[in-house]
Order: sequence, then structure tokens, then C-alpha cells
Amino acid sequence: MTLFKQLSILVTLLLLSIFATVLGVNFQNSAKSVQDQLYTDAKNTATSLSLSLASANGNISMISTMINANFDNGTYQSISLVDMNGQVLYERHSERKIADVPKWFVKYIPIKAPIAAANVSAGWNPIGLLNVQCDTATAYLHLYTILYSLTISFSVIFIISLILLYILLIMLLKPLKNIRLQAEAISNNKFIIQEKLPYTQDFKEVVQVMNIMVKKVEDIFNHANETLRHQSELLYKDEATGLYNKKYLLNKLPEYLKVDAQIPDGICMMIALSGGAEANQALGRELVDKLYVDITTMLRRQAKDFNNSLVVRMNGTEFFLLLPECSEENALSLANYMDHGSTILLSKDLDEKVTFLSFGVYKYHHTQSVKQVISASDYALAQAKLIPHKERVYLHKTVSNDEIMGKEEWRKLIKFALDHNTIHFDTYKVLNIKSGELVHNVLSIALLSESQKYSYGHFIAPAISLGLDIQIHKKAVEKLLKEPPFELKGTICSLRLSEHYLDNPATYNGLKSLFEKYAKNLSFKLIIELPDIVLAKNSKQLQVFKELFENYNIQIGIFEFIGEPRDYNYLKELRPAYIKAEVNYFLSQTSENISSLQVAANSIGIDLIATSVMELEALGTLKARKINMIQGRATEMLG
Amino acid sequence: MILKYIILFLLALTFANAEAYVSQDMINNVAKKYNKFAENRFINMEHKLEGLQDKTTIIKLNTVNTFFNQVNYKSDMENYNMADYWATPWEFLARDAGDCEDYVIAKYFALKYLGIDPKQMYFTYVKSTQFKEAHMVLTYFETPTSEPLVLDNNNRFVLPASKRVDLTPVYNFNGDVLSASAKKANQKTTQKWDDLILNIKKGKI
Repeated sequence: MTLFKQLSILVTLLLLSIFATVLGVNFQNSAKSVQDQLYTDAKNTATSLSLSLASANGNISMISTMINANFDNGTYQSISLVDMNGQVLYERHSERKIADVPKWFVKYIPIKAPIAAANVSAGWNPIGLLNVQCDTATAYLHLYTILYSLTISFSVIFIISLILLYILLIMLLKPLKNIRLQAEAISNNKFIIQEKLPYTQDFKEVVQVMNIMVKKVEDIFNHANETLRHQSELLYKDEATGLYNKKYLLNKLPEYLKVDAQIPDGICMMIALSGGAEANQALGRELVDKLYVDITTMLRRQAKDFNNSLVVRMNGTEFFLLLPECSEENALSLANYMDHGSTILLSKDLDEKVTFLSFGVYKYHHTQSVKQVISASDYALAQAKLIPHKERVYLHKTVSNDEIMGKEEWRKLIKFALDHNTIHFDTYKVLNIKSGELVHNVLSIALLSESQKYSYGHFIAPAISLGLDIQIHKKAVEKLLKEPPFELKGTICSLRLSEHYLDNPATYNGLKSLFEKYAKNLSFKLIIELPDIVLAKNSKQLQVFKELFENYNIQIGIFEFIGEPRDYNYLKELRPAYIKAEVNYFLSQTSENISSLQVAANSIGIDLIATSVMELEALGTLKARKINMIQGRATEMLG
Repeated sequence: MILKYIILFLLALTFANAEAYVSQDMINNVAKKYNKFAENRFINMEHKLEGLQDKTTIIKLNTVNTFFNQVNYKSDMENYNMADYWATPWEFLARDAGDCEDYVIAKYFALKYLGIDPKQMYFTYVKSTQFKEAHMVLTYFETPTSEPLVLDNNNRFVLPASKRVDLTPVYNFNGDVLSASAKKANQKTTQKWDDLILNIKKGKI
């Protein structure tokens, strides 16, 4: 229970008891006053009537007449005359009922009308005592009216006081609410600093301490971010040309060579400068270095016409150009163009038979492995170098990778799955290798035909080429939310959403309406996985998705992380639950790099997960690098 | 001074077992607040009342009437700057002044102390034909129906009511009788009577 609620209850009870007490005391005083008044009235009547009775000179018939006259014209419960020996000489008593007052009031508020007495004389001699008791009906009515008015007025005052006290309480505890929000933000690894310090000293000190703490954590993250960026640059970049190096290429290539790559193929071009040593002798090192920079500039200029192109310096003399969506014809003409251009770059002082550029061209397909692509490109370059004359450009033809199924068959199959809602989820484990516990289940979309199951790797490429991948993702999310598999109950599950699906303008509203309908009471915790490159480039745009997910307690996860040399502040903005990177990434990084990444991730509560862990041998190195969560075939071996 | 202490000592010895009408503390307080004469009046009253303990009712009535009739008459306005005030017997005697109610009160409580049943005594409101004004006397009834004896500050003799043709009875009042009735209902008697009883209990002088 919050402090506000506790104080509210306390204040309400306190007010209630104060008002009840004051009401009770007031009512008691009123009751006493009414009783006193009853006595005063009775006493006055007794005295005045006894004086009148003195004139009757002891004549009982006269006395009774006078008592009757008084009794009938007033409101009395009883009037009696008792002689000196205590014998009743005359008595009148009223049986009047108490009207206009609830029965409970009469039952619980006893009013006993006091009896007032006065001496009655006849001449010099006293003849007895006159007892007068006023009627209580009027007193009850009077008292009930008082209670009613008191209750109404006290209720109004109570409500007004309560409202005023609540307003005061809200004002007083407003800083506490901000402190709570800040504390919640800290527990969610968010950095909120309260610029406006509360007036109350106690709250002020707490806020100051929390601000210092948040600032420190933020500083830790910023420092780690800066270190990571710097380390990544050292690790991934060639100092002389500013190009990415081979290590970067090996980590980056899986992004292009994945089953659901939006661009299915492209060109890999290996460019090598032969006769570097001779050039050094002829021109000197400085000029040769400038030559490499000029070659870099030329390659960059040519690559910029292709989206997501990549220029890499593989080693001292070799360069790699990756041109997605480029055809073999275009690649050849580009290579020839650059070959001609190179003659301008290469000085006339150099022997063109010794110092020349070679271009090995290879068309890759996204279904190939990194190793295949690199080997084929190397082969193309080697062949190019063997060409004895100018235009050392060699195209290594891709072996035809015919699909087993034709496009139409895939279309039919996908349509069948969509129409018959036969989307299925394969699950893979993410394990903590230290504790052996299941971290979460990775859900992978699969399609069921009438006779066979097609995994994501099988159907996604044809689905993309048929333009059906968005529909599949949409249907999969809908099915997961609407009809979640029973075995997922109480677990944590991740589902990858492709960049293509997220880019679709209808996706946000589609997800929003789905979440509104089905995500309020999900039986499992869902993490939506997004590619690192998408998050890094579009963190601002993805903030709306993040907010939408947060409303339904759905977190974001990152995959395909390769630690590019960049500012990692997007991690701070988007707060993913984890970062997934290929096991090779973790193994190829320097320990300083991994350490910086861990510091940055820990400071904002992000887990690091190694994916594609196929062999148990890698676990030792991962553990040594404090990467304790893995995904991949090795999890099956661990059981 | 020595004589005073000898008398007080003898009185103390004589009535060691009987409760005094006024305490020594009160006498001391009177001496302190008023003067030696007032103190002497109290000592004299105590002496007089103790001497009456074993006497007949009529002697008690006559002696008490005579003793208090020696006090000077003074209206409440002159005495207390109030229109009507029922003084305690101690205020009355200490000031050596009072109006008709004060005489009645002083006599009533002195006689009550001497063992006269309060039910036999009444504060009687009378009209004085001689002075043409409202007046109060103390009346004593041997039985409820017998002719009362009248103790009046204007007459040094205690006479039967029939001998007091100058007085016309109007109303009889007895606070103790009313108190007995009111106590059953936990109520007050009358404002004046209740105030008087309270002042007596406080020993107001």
C-alpha cells in the first residue's frame, strides 16, 4: 500500500473520530441542555402552581381543578400533589405517544424528564409537595432535530475537511510520487534526474541522493559506451584508409547471408593491388600509402550507388566490395571501369606488368554461408590475378541454386497456411550455462502444409520474393496472441519481427488493435526481437513501438548485434531486455571490448546472449568472458 | 487574649466528643478576614449553641431567635451590593448584618444543628402589614397540622402564628424537604437554596 493511501486512511479515520467525538459531545450537551430545560420548566410550573394552590386553602376539589387546568393547557407528563405523609392527594398522568421521531432514536437515546417539587401551603401550614414532570415528546422532537442538523452540518464539514486535507496531502506527497516514479525508473534501469528538488527537507535529501546515484550509473554507461565505440573502431577499422577490416566483414556478412534477407543476392568483389613492394621501392612508402587512400576513395565512390554496400580492406593489398542487388553484368562493367580508372591512379613510374589491380567478381546468394562467399571471392580474385594482360577482371559464376519447389508451389503452400491458419511455432531454448536454467524460449514461425512442416529458414525466402512475408508475420503475431500454445503458459518467449514487417505502414495500427484485444492478459511474457541495425538507425521511430509494447508489458530484444563502432545511446533509449550476438562475435572480440559492452549493458540491466552456439567447446571461452546465456544447437546437448 | 484561649480550651475539653457548629479554622479565618469582634461573635455563638444541646425545643427556639436578632438589619443592596442574596450563617454573623432571609437562614441551620427536625421548620414568605412589605420568617411546626411558632427578626418573642396578626402567610419553603425529593431524581432544588448549600459547604464567610 502506498504512503498516500496509508495517510489517506489515517487522516480519514482521524477526521472521522474527531467529528464523531465532537458530534457526540455536542449531542450530549444538547441532550443535557434539553433535560435541564425540562427541569427548569417543571420547576417554574411547580413553584407558580404551588403559589396558586395556596389560595385554595387546602380545598382538594379546588386544588384538583387548578391542577387540571394547568395540566390540560401545558405539555406535562405528570403533575401530582402528595401530602405531608407521602399520600397522593391528586395526580394527573399523560399517556401521550412520541410522534415524528424514529423509534430507534427513542430506544437508544433515553430522556428521563426530571421531576420538580414545590411546597404547597394552606395559610401558615404546609399541606404537601407538588411534583411536576414535563412531557418528553417535545424534548425528543427537539433533540432529534438537533441531531439531524448536527449530522448534516458535520457531514458537510467532514467532506469539505476531507477534500481540503486530501488536496493538502497530495501537495505534500507530490514529491514522494516523483520519488516513487524515479525509484521505479531506476529499477527499470532508466535514468531520470529530478531537476526540481522538493521543498520538504527529508524528500529533498532523498531526491538529491537518488539524483547522484542515477548520475553515477549514467556516467558508467556513458563511459562504457565511449570505450566500446573506441574499442570497436580500433578493432574494426583500418587506420590508414578508415575502411572496415576483415574482422568486421566476417561479423557483418551474416546480416546479408540470412534466410530472411530482404535483398537475396548481390556482388562480392575482391580487389587486390599486386606489386606493392615494387611500388614502395619505386615511389616510396608515403606515395604508396596515398595510392591506397586513392583506391579507397575510388571504391567508396562506386559503392555509394548501392544500398547497404560495404567497402572493406581485407589486408595490406586487398579490398572487398559488397554490392547488394548488383547484377553480374553491372559488376563486370563497374570492375572494368575501375580498372581503367586505376591506370590514372597508378603512376607512370610504375611498371604496369608488375603493379596492377585485379578484380575478382562473385555473385553471392543469401542462402550461402560466410565461408562459401569468402572462398568464392578469393577464388575469383586468384583467377583475376592470373589474367596476363590488362583488364584483370574475373567473374566466378555462381553454381545454380535451383529451388526444389517452384514459386507457384510456394505461393500455394503459404496461402494454404494463411487461409487455414496452420501457422506453427517451433521453440528453441536460451539457457543460462552457469545455472542451467531456461532463460526464455525462442519462438520461430513455421508453416504446416497438409503433409509437411516448413521451418522459417525454408519458407521465408520464397515468401519474401512472393511479397507474402508481411502477411505471415501479421498472422503469426495474431495467432500467438489469440491462441497462444498451452505449453507457453507462465514462460518467457521471444519472437523475431523482421525489418520489412516493421517498416510496413499498417504494422503499428495492426499490432495496436491486436494488443488491445488480446495482450492485456497474456499467459506468458513476450519479448519482441528486432535486428540491432534497425534499432540503431531508427531508435527514435521505434520509440512508438517501444511505448506500445510497454503498455502491455512486452519487452524488446536485440539480435544480430556485431558491436559496430557507433554511439550506443539507443540502448539507453530503448532498454532492450537482452542483446543477442553470434557466438563468433563474442569469441573474436578483445576482452576489453567485451568488458566495455558488459559494463554498458549491466548499467542498464541488459543481458548478453550468444547465438548460433553449435559446439560445447565454445562454452569455456564464453564463460571466461562472462557470457553465460546461449542459444543454438549446444543447448540441446546441454539438455 | 489569654482569656480567649482559656475559654476555647475549656470548650474543647467540655465538648471533646461533640462536633462543633463552627470549626476553629473558620474562627481563625473570620478573625483574619474581619476583626476581633467578629471572632468573638463566633466564639460566643459556639458557646451559646453548645449550651443549648440538652435544652427543650422552646428554649432552643427562644435562645436562637434572641441571639441572632442581635445582629443588625441591613439590606442586601447595602451589604452585598445585590438586590437579593441568601447569605450563609457565617457571612451573616461575621458581617454582623443581614436582611430577613439571612436571619431565617441563620436560625434554621442553628436549630438544625441543635437537633430540631428540618421538616418541622419552614422559610415562610409573609406579608408584613406593619411595614407594608414582603418579609420572611422562620416557622416551627410541632406537627404538620399544628399552629406554627414564628421566629421573626422584627419581634424578640417567639409567638404562635395566631398572635402574629401583623403577618399574612403567602408561601412555605423548606429546602431540605425539596432536596430529599429532588435527590431521588438527581436534580437540583432551587437555585437560591442550592447556591446557599454550596456556599455553606465551602464555609463561605
